[in-house]
Amino acid sequence: MKITKRAKREAKQLYRFCLVGGLLDENRVRQIVQRAVAISERDCPSILAHFLRLVKLDCAQRTATIESATPLPADLQTVVRTGLTRRYGPGLTTTFAERPELIGGMRIQVGCDVYDGSVRAGLEALEKSF
Amino acid sequence: MADLLKEIEAQIAGAKTIAAKQNVGVICEIGDGVAKIEGLTDAMLNEMIDLGNGVTGLALSLDETEVGVIILGDYTQVKEGGEARTTGKLLQVPVGKGLLGRVVNMLGEPVDGKGPIKSDKSYPVEKTAPGIIRRRSVSQPVQTGIMPIDAMIPIGRGQRELIIGDRATGKTTICIDTIISQARLNKAAEAAGDTEYRPLYCIYVAIGQKQSTIARVIAVLEETGAMPYTIIVASPASDSASNQYLAPFAGAAMGEWFMDNGMDALIVYDDLSKQAVAYRQVSLLLKRPSGREAFPGDVFYLHSRLLERAARVDEKYGNGSLTAMPIIETQAGDVSAYIPTNVISITDGQIFLETDLFYQGVRPAINVGISVSRVGSAAQLKAMKQVAGQLKGELAQFRELAAFAQFGSDLDAKTQAQIDRGKRIVEIFKQAQYNPIPVEIQVVVIWTVQNGYLDQVPVARVKEFQNKLTEYFTTRKSQLLAKIGREKALSDALKAELKAAADEFKQTWK
Repeated sequence: MKITKRAKREAKQLYRFCLVGGLLDENRVRQIVQRAVAISERDCPSILAHFLRLVKLDCAQRTATIESATPLPADLQTVVRTGLTRRYGPGLTTTFAERPELIGGMRIQVGCDVYDGSVRAGLEALEKSF
Repeated sequence: MADLLKEIEAQIAGAKTIAAKQNVGVICEIGDGVAKIEGLTDAMLNEMIDLGNGVTGLALSLDETEVGVIILGDYTQVKEGGEARTTGKLLQVPVGKGLLGRVVNMLGEPVDGKGPIKSDKSYPVEKTAPGIIRRRSVSQPVQTGIMPIDAMIPIGRGQRELIIGDRATGKTTICIDTIISQARLNKAAEAAGDTEYRPLYCIYVAIGQKQSTIARVIAVLEETGAMPYTIIVASPASDSASNQYLAPFAGAAMGEWFMDNGMDALIVYDDLSKQAVAYRQVSLLLKRPSGREAFPGDVFYLHSRLLERAARVDEKYGNGSLTAMPIIETQAGDVSAYIPTNVISITDGQIFLETDLFYQGVRPAINVGISVSRVGSAAQLKAMKQVAGQLKGELAQFRELAAFAQFGSDLDAKTQAQIDRGKRIVEIFKQAQYNPIPVEIQVVVIWTVQNGYLDQVPVARVKEFQNKLTEYFTTRKSQLLAKIGREKALSDALKAELKAAADEFKQTWK
């Protein structure tokens, strides 16, 4: 679908309207989508497509994915969660996942930022240095 | 052994693993050497981006939600959905004397099969040009060995002289001749142990040319022994548009190293028309708005920032220089097209080559009337200035009179003499390719023309006369030539010696 500059600009305006205190308000997002679908203007699909993209990117920025080779104990999960909230502010969604190929250590991704302290990353860095 | 184990255990216990922060993105679109990456929020302009599988890219457009990256390696290795990460580094190429005699690609990697490059330094490809304070005016000549250029359109070290003309008019040949001439001068100075002579190293950047053409240039430079003083940066037509767009900048970085280290270098961009086309392709793929002839708005800046890097640096800053010889190919002699006018306005002069002259047998096919060198005369050898000062005017007069004489009207003796002299000057300026003439010989030949020694020689035999004269002076009057080269000016005593020698030759000439 071709998204025009105008559609991008309008999607951006709608996205801004959904922000409350710098955080995305889910209710507003829902309302906007419902209203836009109800109006069914010609440009609506492209505006909503770009709006969805902006919401997706925002969600990714507010989501922390913590991967480890073995499941993390509850106390360690709390420590990690607290540390991330301190760094990225409140409203961060944290998900913990198991990924055995990391061998050991942890890999945390928050939006575009990656903190890779896994054994696998260390080995890859060592391999590159040779 | 127990101690060793304890020591290792202690070291392991004390070791701290630090997880470095990385900025990543997801490749969401790839096409024709350009990738769009979602994420990479910390990416900088012109930063190298690791695209995985050993392929790197260069961040060229930073949009709100995505980054436009040009892929520098094999773009077939890059997959949609793959992870890309910032490196925090700008694009760099190896520099130094280790590159001399080598053929490299845009990344400075060898493509000549002669093993790895011996270089421990690298320079960023994009670098700000030297400022006003660091610069000084042009004062030393670049002896191209091409008589009409050295006599009438002299080039100085640090100058930017444009070579412009249609296809197959001898643009590359002029540059190759200049490179060969530098190699000969460098070699001669090395052999004579002349420590005062500043060698001029050459960089030839081939952009969008056929591989066979580049191979031919390399073969010529190797045959003439110019390769040890030359670096070739090859970005042939089969290279991606990104590589073709960046190749001149890589060459400029290599040349800048010589300039920054107090040495002189000459860089040939062959040619900037093709680079502009490659840049247009990259820009269109990056969805940048297009302007005149579909070129992006910053195509002038592309060439000006490249050519501004050529400079003569003040003695306080090392006294080095980088001379640029950009080439522009015109279509049907149209110099008023977008890219030619841009580059003409940036450079310090231009040498126009014409198809008509080429097919009339005037080679190099330089149109002296519209070719200029805006700063080079300050660097011209005094001896050459003395003999060639009036030449440009005489040739212009000749062209005007010759056009008038075509009507078949009777001419007075003075006009006829001017036409005859002009014909002889045109003849002596004809020169075979890959055969640069030493400046001392040029001075002698032009002096003989100016002093009427060729007036009685039939036009058809002027070249023969010139060859015999050159042979006579190189074999029997080499000391006189050396004296001209040493003194760099024609004193009265030298003129008298020159006259005696020319008279002696004239007597033997049949």
